[in-house]
Parts: sequence; C-alpha cells; structure tokens
Amino acid sequence: MLFLNPDLAKDFLSHFADADGESKYMNVLQDVANHKIKAIHIELEDLVNYKDLDEEFLRRVTENTRRYIQIFSNAIDELMPEATEPFPDDDQDILMTQRSEEATENADASDHQQKMPPEIKRYFEVYIKASPKGQPFTIREVKASYIGQLVRISGIVTRCSDVKPLIQVAVYTCEECGFEIYQEVTSRVFMPLFECPSQRCKINKTKGNLILQLRASKFLKFQEAKIQELAEHVPKGHIPRTMTVHFRGELTRKVSPGDVVELSGIFLPIPYTGFKAMRAGLIADTYLEAMSVIHFKKKYEEYELRGDEEERILRLAEDGDIYNKLARSLAPEIFGHEDIKKALLLLLVGAPHRKLKDGMKIRGDIHICLMGDPGVAKSQLLKHIINVAPRGVYTTGKGSSGVGLTAAVQKDPVTNEMVLEGGALVLADMGICAIDEFDKMDESDRTAIHEVMEQQTVSIAKAGITTSLNARTAVLAAANPAWGRYDLRRTPAENINLPPALLSRFDLLWLILDRADMDTDLEMARHVVYVHQNKESPALGFTPLEPSVLRAYISVARKLSPCVPRELEEYIATAYSSIRQEEAKSNTPHSYTTVRTLLSILRISAALARLRFSDTVAQSDVDEALRLMQMSKFSLYSDDRQRSGLDAISDIYSILRDQAARTNRMDISYAHALNWISRKGYSDAQLKECLEEYAALNVWQIHPNTFDIRFIDA
Amino acid sequence: MVGLPYDCLANPLGAVRLTFEKAVASGSDPSTFDGKDWGAADLFRNFLYDNDGLSQVPMLNAATIRSLQPNTLVKFRGMIQDMLGNEFYVGAYKDGDVWRTNKFADHSQFPMESSSVMRVWERRMLYCVPVPGQNSWTESFCEAAVIPFTNSTSPPREKRQRDDDMSTDDVDMQAPDQEFEDSPSAKRKREQSIPSQSSNLQENIIGGTYSGTGLVPDFNRNSFPCLVKIYDSPESDLKLNDVFEFIGVLTFDTELKADSDEIGELDTSLYEDAMTHLPPSKVPRIHCLVHRKLDVHDFLSSPPVLEPKSHLVKEIRQALLGHLTAVLGNDGLAAEFMLLHLLSRVHARVDAVAVGKLSLNLICLNKDSISVFRNRLNRAIRNLVPFTHSLPLSIDYLNSVSLAPRKDYQINRLVSGALQLAEGSHLTIDETQLQAGTLNTTGVDNARVLKSLMELQKVEYDFTYYKMEMTADVQLLILSEGKSNILPADLVLPFRPSSVDCCDNVDPELLKAWRWYLATMRSLPHSIEQEMQKVVEDDLVAARQADRSLGSQGLGRLLTMGRLVSVSFGETCLSLDHWQMVKELERLRRERVQESM
Repeated sequence: MLFLNPDLAKDFLSHFADADGESKYMNVLQDVANHKIKAIHIELEDLVNYKDLDEEFLRRVTENTRRYIQIFSNAIDELMPEATEPFPDDDQDILMTQRSEEATENADASDHQQKMPPEIKRYFEVYIKASPKGQPFTIREVKASYIGQLVRISGIVTRCSDVKPLIQVAVYTCEECGFEIYQEVTSRVFMPLFECPSQRCKINKTKGNLILQLRASKFLKFQEAKIQELAEHVPKGHIPRTMTVHFRGELTRKVSPGDVVELSGIFLPIPYTGFKAMRAGLIADTYLEAMSVIHFKKKYEEYELRGDEEERILRLAEDGDIYNKLARSLAPEIFGHEDIKKALLLLLVGAPHRKLKDGMKIRGDIHICLMGDPGVAKSQLLKHIINVAPRGVYTTGKGSSGVGLTAAVQKDPVTNEMVLEGGALVLADMGICAIDEFDKMDESDRTAIHEVMEQQTVSIAKAGITTSLNARTAVLAAANPAWGRYDLRRTPAENINLPPALLSRFDLLWLILDRADMDTDLEMARHVVYVHQNKESPALGFTPLEPSVLRAYISVARKLSPCVPRELEEYIATAYSSIRQEEAKSNTPHSYTTVRTLLSILRISAALARLRFSDTVAQSDVDEALRLMQMSKFSLYSDDRQRSGLDAISDIYSILRDQAARTNRMDISYAHALNWISRKGYSDAQLKECLEEYAALNVWQIHPNTFDIRFIDA
Repeated sequence: MVGLPYDCLANPLGAVRLTFEKAVASGSDPSTFDGKDWGAADLFRNFLYDNDGLSQVPMLNAATIRSLQPNTLVKFRGMIQDMLGNEFYVGAYKDGDVWRTNKFADHSQFPMESSSVMRVWERRMLYCVPVPGQNSWTESFCEAAVIPFTNSTSPPREKRQRDDDMSTDDVDMQAPDQEFEDSPSAKRKREQSIPSQSSNLQENIIGGTYSGTGLVPDFNRNSFPCLVKIYDSPESDLKLNDVFEFIGVLTFDTELKADSDEIGELDTSLYEDAMTHLPPSKVPRIHCLVHRKLDVHDFLSSPPVLEPKSHLVKEIRQALLGHLTAVLGNDGLAAEFMLLHLLSRVHARVDAVAVGKLSLNLICLNKDSISVFRNRLNRAIRNLVPFTHSLPLSIDYLNSVSLAPRKDYQINRLVSGALQLAEGSHLTIDETQLQAGTLNTTGVDNARVLKSLMELQKVEYDFTYYKMEMTADVQLLILSEGKSNILPADLVLPFRPSSVDCCDNVDPELLKAWRWYLATMRSLPHSIEQEMQKVVEDDLVAARQADRSLGSQGLGRLLTMGRLVSVSFGETCLSLDHWQMVKELERLRRERVQESM
C-alpha cells in the first residue's frame, strides 16, 4: 500500500510546507521536543494538499484512521529533534534516561515483554483531524458502515465523567531478577501479569513475583462524555439520539454539559471482555474516539458562510427591493404589519457600537417595544425573531426560573459552591432578548432593565459577589396596555403605563390595535375558512426567504460599520429640531423627544445603510428612519389626526405646500415629495391619490412621466 | 395452497433462516442485505394477512407472558414511549463456507468464531408500553377474555391506577440508579441483592407462578413494557406516541440477568445500555417482522360492518345524545356540546394552529354536583372512547409531578409524564379541587405545559438543554367552578343539570354502536361548498362586528363546530341547516354565559 510505508509518513512530516513556506510539522515537533506542547494535530487537509494525493488516499485514511495514527507515531519517534531549550527534568525523564542506559547494557534482552514499547517513551499525542469541508453528520446519520472511520459529528454534550487516569503501559519489576517488565494496555480492562517472563527467571525457574510500578507506568488522562443530537436535527416525532465519546490526553476537559460541539473522531465498537464477550458476540456497543473538538459559536460575528451562500447574498444585495423582501420574510405567516416587520429587521441588523475617546460607549442595539391588544400575534412575532436570530432568548416578564431576567447567585447542587447564574438578558449577550409580558415584570427586574438598555451591563451585589456582567443585547419587548385592552377613551400615556424613563430607552414603540374594520374582518374570516377548508395557509403571493438565508444576509450586513457623512449632519439636525418644535407646538405632547431620539435616528439609519451593504449613511436612510419613527407614533396617535379633521389627502397637500413655500420654489420633484410625506407616515398610494385629486382642481400640474409637481400660480 | 414447509407461529426463526438460505442460494450476496429485506417480511406478511394467520398469533401481555414460549411469533399492541437509538449487531457471518444470519434473533444459532467474516448491521430499539389509559372494554376483544375485567369502573379507580403507575415507574428508575452510582458501597449492595433475588425466585416457585419461561416478575397490567427491535423500515414510519401492532419473534431471557453485575465493574462508566436498565428478564423483547399502525377502529370489539348510512347514523346519534343528556342530568345543550367535543380531533396543523380541536370547559360545577357528575361523566366517557385519562388539578399535584415527559440523562431514558398520550386520547381535567396557593417552579412549568396543550395541542418535552415540541391530539374536557383561566378552553359552557337520576345500565350492543359511531364519524372527510363558504364568511364577519373579542381562534372554533355538527349526522358537506344549528348552539351558549356572569 502506498502510505503504509512509514518512510512516506516521515517524508510528509519533514517536508510539508504550509502557505508561508514554513515546514509546519517540524516546527510542531520542535515544540514537542522542548516540552512546550503535547498534542500533534495532523490535518487531513494538509495530507491531501501534499504531493497531490488523490481521493482514494483520503478515503483510506478516513476508513482506517487508527492504523494511520500508529504509522505517524512511529514516524515521529524517528524524526523527533533534540530539544533546543532546556526544560526542567521530571520523574519521567529521569526514569527514561535510566532506562535507555539499561537498555544498552542489557543487549541480550530480546524478549518482547522486556523490550521497551515505543508507547512509553512518547510524550506526545497524535491526532488526525478530519477535513472541515462539508456538513458534519448528525448522530442519526452515523450508520453501521461508518465503524472504524473518521467522522465529523455535531451535537450537544449532555454528560461528562470525571477525568481519570487510564493505564497505557503497565510497568512491573521482578522481585527476583530485578528486570523491568512492560505490558501494553489497549482496552479498558486488563489482566495484570503475575509471573516474571524474563529469560533469567525462566531459566532459574524462580517464578519471580512481579510488582506493579505505578510511578513508572504510563497513564493517560481519560474522560467519557455523552453527546446528543441537536434539536434542529431531530425529525418530527422522534427522540434525539445519543452517542458516547471518549476523550484522551490533551482533549480531556475540553467540554462540559450543555456545550454545543462539533467533534471529529473515530467511530469504534467497544471490545467486550470476559463473560460479556462470550454472550454478546452479536451486539456491539460503539463510541467515538475524539480527535478534535470545536465549540460552536452562534454569534453573527463568527457566522461562516457556506458554499453558495455568499453568491446568493450578493445576488440578493443587487436586487433593489431587498429591504422589503427581507422584512416580508420575517414571520411570513403573520398577515400584514409590514412596517413592524421592517422595524424588527432593523433590530436584527442593529447599528455598530461606538466607543468615544473618553471611554463612553454608545450602544448600537435597537430596542423595540410592541404594545397591543391581546391576540394580535405579538408573541408569535417575538418567537419568530428569536428563531431567526443566531442568539436569542425568549422570556416572559414573569420569568419562570428564579434567575429572572438579570442574574442570580445560586448554590450549585453538585459542588455546593455559590455560582453566578446569568438570567435571560445576560444569556442573550451579543444577541436578542425578547421579553413577553413586559408590563407584568417584577419591579426589581424593571429597575435592572434601565441599566441593561442604556449601559448594557448588569451589576450584581448579592451574597458577597459584586460584579458587572455584560448584557450587550437588543431588547424586543411586548406588552399589553394597562387595562388588558387599549382603552380609546384614555390617553395613550395612561394606556401604555410604562415609566417615561423606560419608554425613552426604546428606539421604536409600536401600538398594534385590533380595530373594528370590515375589511380586515372579512380578510380574517376568509383566511380562517380557507385554513379549515384546505388544511393549509393561503398562498402568500411571494416566496419568503429561508431563515438561514436571512441569517446569512444579516451576518454579512453586521460586519459593516457605516458612518454619517458630513453633508448629512445638517439634514439630520434640521429634522430633529423640527420634531422638537412640532412637539412644543402641540398642546398634548405624546412623545418625549430627547437626545435619545436623535441617537435613535442615527442608529436606525446606520442599520439601513448596513442592509444596503454601504459604508456611508445616505439621505434615503435617514428619511426611512424618520418615516419609521413617524409611523410608530402614527400607530399611537392616528385617532388625534382624525379628530383634528384633516384627512390624509388634505394633510399631504398641506405638507407639500408648506415645503414648497419654505424652499420658495414652484417645482417639487416626485422623489422629494415622497420623502416628505413618508416622513409623516403616509404611503405612496396616498400621495398619488392626492396628486390626482388636486391636479383635477387645477392646483398643480403633474408631469405625466416623472410625476413631478409644479404649482400653478394663483 | 400447499402447506408451508415451516411453522411461522412456532418457529419463526426457522422460516427466516430458510428464506435467507433461499436468497443466498439464488445468488444474492448477503453483504448487500444490509437494511434490506430478502423476503422474510414478505413471507410473514403473506402468512398473516393473506392466509389469515393474524388471528392465530397470540397476543403478548402481562397475562399471557407466562404461557408464551420464547422464539415464537407473538403480537404486541402498544404506544411508542421512548426511542433508545440503534443497536449494532452481526447481521450475517460466514460459518465455514456458509453464510448465516442473526437477523431477528438475540443470539446466533450456531457458534461463531470471532475471526470469521461478518457484516455488522443495525436495528432500532423502541420502548413500547400499553397505550396509557386504555379502557378495559378494548381488551375484552384483544385478549380473548384471558383476564376478566380487572378494571372495574368504580369511581376512585382511575386515581389509584395512576398512583400504581407512578410507583412502578419509580421502582424502574431507582433500580438502575443503584447500579450506576458506583460508590464503594455499590459492591456491597450488589452482594446483598443477589441473595434477595434468589429468595425472590424461590418465592415465585413456591407461589406457583413459576412456569416454563422461568422467572416472571409481577407485571402490573398497566406497565407492561416491551422492547421492540425494528429492522429495515424507514425511520419516518414510526413516531413517538404512535400506537402500533408489532408482530415478531419474542425473546424473553432470564439468564442474561447476570450481566448487570458485570457492567457494574466498569467504574462510573457512562455505558448504560439497554441490558442494564431494561434487563431481558424483566422486559420482553420482540424482534419485529411486521408492524402496523393502529386506528381507534382496531380497538373496537366488533368489526365495522355498518355502512355510514344517514338514517342509521341519525338514529345512533339520537340515542347517544339521549344517553349523554341523561348522564349530564338532563342538560340537553351540554349534551350537544359534549357530542361535538367527543367527535373532535386535530385534522390539520396550519402554522401554529391546530385545526379541529374543540376543548370543552363545563363551568358552574359546585362541590355537590361535581362529586356526582365527575364520576358519571368519567364513566360514560370511558365507555365510549378507548383511551381516557383524568387529572385532578390541585396545587400539590401541580407542584410535585412532572406532567411533560423529560429526559433523564442518568439512565438515558425518557421519563414519561401524564401528558404523554396517544393520539385521540381523552383527558378530563378536574379544576374544582384547585385551591388558592403558591406554585413552585415545577408548578409554573406544569401550568405552562397544560396551557400549550390546550391552545396548540403541543407538549414540550424537556431535554434539559433544550425543549422539543411534540404534537398531540387530545380531547380536553375541563370541569371547573368558574371559567378556567389556567386552561383556556375553546368552549365555555355553564352546566345546568336538572336531575341527578342514575342512568347506568346501558345495553352493551348500544355501547358498541356508539363506539363505532364516534370512531367512524370522527374520521369522516369534510368540505364546504362555494356558496356555503360565502354565507359562512359573511356570518363570521357579522359575528366579529358584533363582538370584538372574537379573534381568529373564535372564528376557527365556529367552523370546527360546523364541521363537527355535520359529521355528527354522517355528512361530509356543510349544509345551511347545520350551519344554522351551529349558530343556534352558539347563541344558546352565549346566553347561558351571560346569565351566569
């Protein structure tokens, strides 16, 4: 066979050069010789790249990994360089020098049990790492045909044993002749030797007593663990499968229960011993001999694009309508609520965090509060967002666990130590925390949330532990109005019933009301009848993007850090001041426009720029941000508008006329007009209606192609 | 037809081997048989279904286990309670020059040399239990009257039964625990346990229950688990909580008991294979040859000979309604709703909505009436549907038990909860016993699980590191004093009994007809014609305009009622009359709710 020849293994180790031209493995061996590291990871990828070995070879290594580890170990024995740096001698080394001296003296010791097994001299461990290409298996997919092969598996660690020593080479000394006798142990159970097998004892027929030398024997750290399939890999109506994993040497203590890991390892049957072997010849238990452990990172920052995803995302980005398309793909089963979905999309994207020179931090996470009547699918929206976000925690204001939202000091049931357990907000660090029933939150949590939402930390001073935990999370809250349902006779402030200090921390506040409306009722009745009739949801009229695509797109968008160009600063400042003025004019101010609002505008604009994959915030982003903020207020105060007697059409007209008067021009381009009115929360269709209506009154002329407006001088 | 050269019943393994040899002789390579059938299953299917062998196959249960011989063909009806993963075994090996197979067997028939050529195949292990809450009348048919009605329908029975279940469960859990935690004392324990086991054995012999199959521990009728080994069939066939009939080779080995000691030697090992926790001496194994998903019909005592003719159906409906009215103390409206409730089932899942469920909450039950009607209702329902349960809701109960199943990683098993129910089960929850009190974490969890079952017909199974939602299809009846807020039912109906006359004696023939009626009508298809659809839509809009609190849930409920009313008459299409009837029922219900407020 091509590679069973150890020379080839030696050749590979001594000559393989990585991308920088360094001979990678010789450097590793030097470190090993200097006792700096113990583990030698041979990557399958490197083997393939070396000398253009073919697929056939790759297959052979994956199917017979154990043998290849042996070959590489032998090759490394021969290649091991001299130590270049001094290192402190330990017991083992002293023993080793003694032994090698003895070995040269007793050249007659040809007896195999007296010969030192190579294993005992090794102070390194060899692992072969599977190629990281392609999807790892789920436990369910590992079939009988994979026995003996190198496989990659993803799963969650459910149990871990303690790390225990596992004897690898047992060393005995003979009472009679004084020889050292070696016994290699390959299984978990072994039969100790009792009689000295050395030449001298045999000839003298002394049957020398053997004494096991614990200090001279070689032990290996050994740990067992159980992994279980991840919830998303389990088919509907099935129970997750489990698998036993063995960790040895340097790989021990790498995992703990609850970790989501990707393991590569050799899938092996457990050799039965003793009585069981006789009975159970038929059935084999199996385990995975771990070769490498990778912890899954579920954060956006570490999200790796797979295969064609990058291309798909680029194609999506070229599509002009990506903002709408992505927003619609959020919770596609929930009808309507387009602007809310847009806001939620921006929450997922977020804005970059800023750290000022004086150390002050400005958060980039966008907080949103959804308030509304029961049964308007708030909770479903929340849950859907959590599913899309790579790291999201869903909780209710009255969290069921004692930990609550922030953090708690608890006693570990096993060790009885006091441990700090993070609550939902801490667990959602660098992610999204959805809090349902926000209004029913405990007073203590509500105070803590002030800190989380602006400073993004949780401070604890409990049971002698004083610390501050990071909680860089975007808060998505859902709340019911104060009296369960929105009471139109009362003021919005009374209905919302959250302290202004808390409210001002939300970038956007949406009020979703369940209004008596013939059209929506009919729509709902149709939908319900359709569902009962056809046992499926009515077609959506578009194909929503998969959550995985959404996630990938957002992760790419989040890598950008857009900035506001100088020329826009003025524009934003004007917009902000006009909002402030409007508020001052109105006799019943509905909102608290503060500096926080200005920051919100900047945050939302930055998120929009990220969605466009742009490094700078454009004016259109700011306009859209203003529009969203207006819409969120609109949802709150639309009744006022009706009361003030202005219908949408005439309101649009007055906006346009005011704008024209301010700029002292007779022409308004359609794009500008759309900008202005959308900031006030009106739609494209309403603008067109207004244009037609007033054109008929000869107030203005509309350009037939561009829809630009020209006022007719009265 | 020529007589078969082998006895499928008494020597199924012989038949398996014969087909194997035949297949090998015809030139197939045994190493390609992995995950495939070489004709053995076909042979048995042919024998069972075409040659009427099914009725000759003995049923495996607690009563018959003593008389059954190992390595014979048996059938077992049960619900898949847990899936233990797959098991690797030497499927085929070369004995000299001859290929042999071990499929469908625990041990090889011939001595195997370890060096011989072998093929490792896999099989899946399912842990099955008798369907929870199965009523006694279903067994009178299955068991051919082996045991008389042990489940007498006396009122407190239901409760005791569950207690029994729980206590046996506990024993199940504890025994492996001891083996698992391998403290220095474990060895002592083991030593102690051996003599006790043997004394147990002696007792059994003296007790006269010792039979040819060896040591048979006392089986509780309600916890007679069975480990079913499934070969070849695709994974998607068998789902958790499905009710199946498995026909296969029984192995019930008492010798392997010694193994558990052996395993204890491996210090704090994480190996907890099925051998340790489900010793073959306690849990019989079935190597499944043929499996078949069961329907409620399969539990009915008479084969469904009746055609759903409309006049016949109407008669049965009328009689059943009369019976329900009598049971409910002459409350006709409650009886109508009860009938619809008993006919309901989840027939589709659209997004998060379980379409077709109709849970019923009878309110205005006070301390006096509950004691009478709870038992009566339970008895009546038990007589009508095959799987029934009842849960007394109390603070202590909620705080102490775990309703949802959860995974115990110590023993690597799914610990069943009261809400792990087979499809089509009926669950009565008695809220009248609930007092004011504090719920602990478990209690809050349980309340949440109950709520999600009510609203979505889903139960979250607890896997510690994550939860998995399993779909359920359970008819839920809630009895409470006021409207239950913990358990928001689809229908809330104030209960108005006017008499407490007893009405116990029902003609068994009538009962049979009713059972058949409920089982058949439930599964009828149903549709709404185009014109009718328009009428319904308009009515729904009008209803919503009149009452803003009516959400899409409420509209869905009205449609479900429409469907159920029309299938209750054996019709598959909604007629205007029936829709009017729905509206009338709804109007009456609302009136009552208004009055009782």
